[in-house]
Amino acid sequence: MSASGKITVSVASRVANVDLIHAISDQVATLVGFDTDEILNLGLAVREATINAIKHGNGLDPRKRVQVTFEFGEQGMTVAIRDRGKGFDLDAVADPTLPENLFQPSGRGLLLMKAFVDRVEVHEHEGKGAEVSLYKGLRNGVRQRKEGV
Amino acid sequence: MQAKRRSVGPVEVLELSGKITIGEGETELRKEVQDLLDAGHSRIVLSLEKVGFMDSAGLGELVACYKRANENGGRIKILRPSGKVADLLSLTKITEIFEIYEDEGEAIASF
Repeated sequence: MSASGKITVSVASRVANVDLIHAISDQVATLVGFDTDEILNLGLAVREATINAIKHGNGLDPRKRVQVTFEFGEQGMTVAIRDRGKGFDLDAVADPTLPENLFQPSGRGLLLMKAFVDRVEVHEHEGKGAEVSLYKGLRNGVRQRKEGV
Repeated sequence: MQAKRRSVGPVEVLELSGKITIGEGETELRKEVQDLLDAGHSRIVLSLEKVGFMDSAGLGELVACYKRANENGGRIKILRPSGKVADLLSLTKITEIFEIYEDEGEAIASF
């Protein structure tokens, strides 16, 4: 049986809070009914989006908040990570797997997000920050729906 | 992240365990490798068998360590990455940078 609901957490832009958001993601995903591997994958994607928000969106300024909303139901979970930055163009981010980028020490976060959830979107809120939205479907939920349960 | 060092002939084996992630983990990895390079060790094997998790910061630090070693005339090779870590190394194509071994003897003999 899966749970449904919405949880919003707001944290200061400190690196230590990455672990906190990751831990909350794991707990919520467990409650929703994802399996161990899916929890790990979703957690990694949430972690990367949170790192991106804290480091790049808010420039590690602890006065700026990062808001993370977990919205979940029988179909899956959407995690929206919002910062105070300007956002970014998903298609303009350099591919870190190209030979010329392989030795870069950063730039792999988006690749990991895309690899481990079903959908990644970036929304800009004029003057009010940017939001990365991650969606992962629940395999059991989809199967139940197909079977008409 | 925890690290345990041992010498096998001219090669230093750094056995890492735990998580290599943003903040503490990446800083510790940087320090451990830098300490070896500063001590004049140029042949380093990073054993990742007991590393259960890495994020992009940890992966980036791994690449940075490789570059620093090369700039100092050294070489770093990877031994036995675990399931998820192996997946991440493959997905990011970091496997194209490092030589990766499953057998410690082979890793040591490869220098």
